[in-house]
Parts: sequence; C-alpha cells; structure tokens
Amino acid sequence: MYPGIVPPFLLDRLASTDDPRLARAAAAARKTLAMPRPPRPTRTRLRLSIDGDALVAEAVPAPDRIISDTQNSENLPGRRVRSEDEEPVGDAAVDEAYDGLGATYDFFWDAFARDGIDAAGGSLLATVHFGDDYDNAFWNGERMVFGDGDGEVFVGFTRSLSVIAHELGHGVTEAAGGLEYQGQSGALNESLSDVFGALAEQHRLGQSANEASWLIGAGIFAPDVQGEALRSMKAPGTAYDDDVLGTDPQPGHMRDYVETDDDNGGVHINSGIPNRAFHIAATTLGGLAWERAGLIWYRTLTAGTLSPTADFAAFAAATRATAASEYGEESEEVAAVRAAWVAVGVEEDAAA
Amino acid sequence: MPQPDAANDERFAVVVVRSGGLAGLQKQWRAEPDPARLAQWRELVENCPWDAAPSASSGADRYQWRIEVHRGDIAVRRVRLGDGQVDGPWRTLVDEVRRAAPSTPRRR
Repeated sequence: MYPGIVPPFLLDRLASTDDPRLARAAAAARKTLAMPRPPRPTRTRLRLSIDGDALVAEAVPAPDRIISDTQNSENLPGRRVRSEDEEPVGDAAVDEAYDGLGATYDFFWDAFARDGIDAAGGSLLATVHFGDDYDNAFWNGERMVFGDGDGEVFVGFTRSLSVIAHELGHGVTEAAGGLEYQGQSGALNESLSDVFGALAEQHRLGQSANEASWLIGAGIFAPDVQGEALRSMKAPGTAYDDDVLGTDPQPGHMRDYVETDDDNGGVHINSGIPNRAFHIAATTLGGLAWERAGLIWYRTLTAGTLSPTADFAAFAAATRATAASEYGEESEEVAAVRAAWVAVGVEEDAAA
Repeated sequence: MPQPDAANDERFAVVVVRSGGLAGLQKQWRAEPDPARLAQWRELVENCPWDAAPSASSGADRYQWRIEVHRGDIAVRRVRLGDGQVDGPWRTLVDEVRRAAPSTPRRR
C-alpha cells in the first residue's frame, strides 16, 4: 500500500472495529485500504561495499533531508537552508543535523530495512537555531527541532548523533502507532528513543554492545559541567553530578521508580529502568546490539500489537513474545530478554 | 480563591517549575516581589487564564511547566501547561518570575 495522510495502522484499527457507533467509519476505512493510491517516487542511491574478495553494488533507498533555520526565533519551520544532495553550508548546526539525519537513516535501513520515519521514504524535516539560548531539542509531531543551548550548560544539541537519532526515534514510535507520552508508556517512548539513539551511534562507529559507551548526549555539555552525558543506559543515575544541574535522577530498578506529576509523570526519569533492561539484554547477547536485542525491541514496537498505553510489564511480555517468535521459545535470545527484565525488577524470576 | 495582595502579612511568591525537555532536567524559579510592587504582580497573575482547560501538546521532549502562586507555604493557585501554552499573559508572567528570581552561580 502506498503512503497516505492517514497512517495505515490507524486505518487498519478503524477497519477492524466492531463498534456499531463506528460502522460507517469502519466501512470507509476498509474502502480506503482497498483503493490503490498513486505511487510516490522513492529516492535511491548506489552503494558499494566489499564482501570478501567481491565488490558489491546495490541500489538502496536514500533519505530526503530538509534542514531549516529559525535564526534564533521560535517561528517554525524557519527558512530552508539545506536540502538533499546539497553541499555543506558551513553552519555547524545545519551540517551536523544533515549528517546526523543521514547516519540515523542509514542505521534504520541497515538494521531494520526501514525507509525513514514513516517507513515510506517521507522527508526528514529538521529545524536548527531554534529560540534564543534554547536549552532543548524536541520532536513536534512533524519535525525535529534543535536549540543552540545557552553556552553555559549546553553547547548545541546537534553535536550528538544519539540526540539526533533520539528525536528521529520519536517520529518512528509515533508512526508505528505511538506510546502515550505519560507515565510508564511515556517512559517506554523515551527509552525507545534512547535505544535508537545509542544504536545509531554504535552503527556509525561499528561498535559492539560491549565496546559501546551507552551514553545519550555525550558532548553537548559545556566544559564546566560535571557530567559526561544526559543519561547512561548502562548505569542510570550516574551520567552527571553537578552543582547547578544536580544529580542524575534516573533509577535503574523498579524499587527506585520515581512517582511524580512533573515531566509528564517522570518520562525522562523512569526511562532509566527499560534503558538498563535493554543494555543488559544487548550485552548478554553480545555482538552488534541492533542485530538481535535491537531487532527484538524494534519488532515489538512496529508489530502493530503494542497498546499505546502499555506499561513496563506489558512491554516486557511483548519483547519476550517477539524474541520467541523470532528465535524460538528455548533460544538464548528469549533467556537474555527474560533475564534483563528480571534484573531491573519488572518481571519476577520464575526460578527463584 | 485568596488574592495575592489580600490584606494579610503572609509572604507572597510566584513559583515557576520547568520539567521535561530532552534532558529531563527540572528547573525552578521563585519570585518574592517587594511589597511596593504587589499591585503589578497581582495584575500579572490575574491576567492569566488559571481556569482554562489544559490542552494536550503533540510530539515529545517538550518542556512541561507548573506555575504556582504561594501565600506563605501554601500554593493557592496551580496550573500545569505544555510548552506551546506558555504564551501571551503566561509568557509575560513566566518571564517576569525568571527575571526576578535569584540565579544560581556555578561553583568553580
């Protein structure tokens, strides 16, 4: 099916509802799904690689990146400053965003054969130089937006590939059906973006799970800040300890789960728990983290069966089911996933 | 609802808490206006639509704002806003609190 304005998963859900109040909408959705749509041209490129003694040439999809600049205002989307195939413009934030989106696109394609945010070759839209000393980067539902930082705490959010891939990851999660941005489902949404952020960086560096830093946002703090990154997936709660920022508040176990109404119910705090579960699964399996642990998490997200309000326990059960379906119930992958969720206290140890 | 300049001698303060964002860092500003300026602060507070229904903001990693008016140690007014809602009178109030609040210098 060709891409339309209404995502296919929404049409699927609507088409399959048996709620009598939605009978007309369900019929319309079924009709829409059955209707052929005009094809959208997909960008492709020729990629060369060496496999043993052989030179391999393959045609693969290519990203369509569009970078805009709000010139320190908050008026989105801003002026278009660099589009696909255009040369670097000499503005660090513009060129870092362009390169980071390209590296993230390559990661999603190589690891999961996913063609961009919508899996259909849609444009990757980003805006840089947002706001005045703006200390944040975010996904606004259609584009990634990056501030420059204030220079005292943050020195620019496009410096970190894990940050760029984190924001693009929010787009992927939304396109896959979404995880409500509140409480545990919101923390899972955040954790998946950290997983994609870490994996995109490892993919670019060719790092194995055991070689990687598992840090999110390394390099975006100013030199005076006492910290190495925003978050550590390996050791949540240890990324920074600074007299202005305070101490990294992330827990790595359910016994330390933080109940709060701020931060949409602690989505950036409690994401430490599923982050650590992923790190344990990935390092237990070893090798390139996106090949098995990453694939299990990605397939769990995109299967179309994950509830938008899933909590940690539901997501843990879903990753185990995905691992069993991909590798078999008695596989080392299922054992690693189960052990990871037990280690962070989301599941109980059946053998205990 | 008690008014910020009601005739009593309890301390009046406006507190702004920003949470969320990509970094998930919480930042708080607290302004305790000089008694001579209470009338201006009351106007700033009263200009804000405290009873308006909050609207859900789309996307992720946006800031979340909590704005409170304190009388002594009690919060007599409280609202939670998405980043996109901090506009107009809310933006004016937040900017004023941030200007009035003492900053935390970094120890070297």
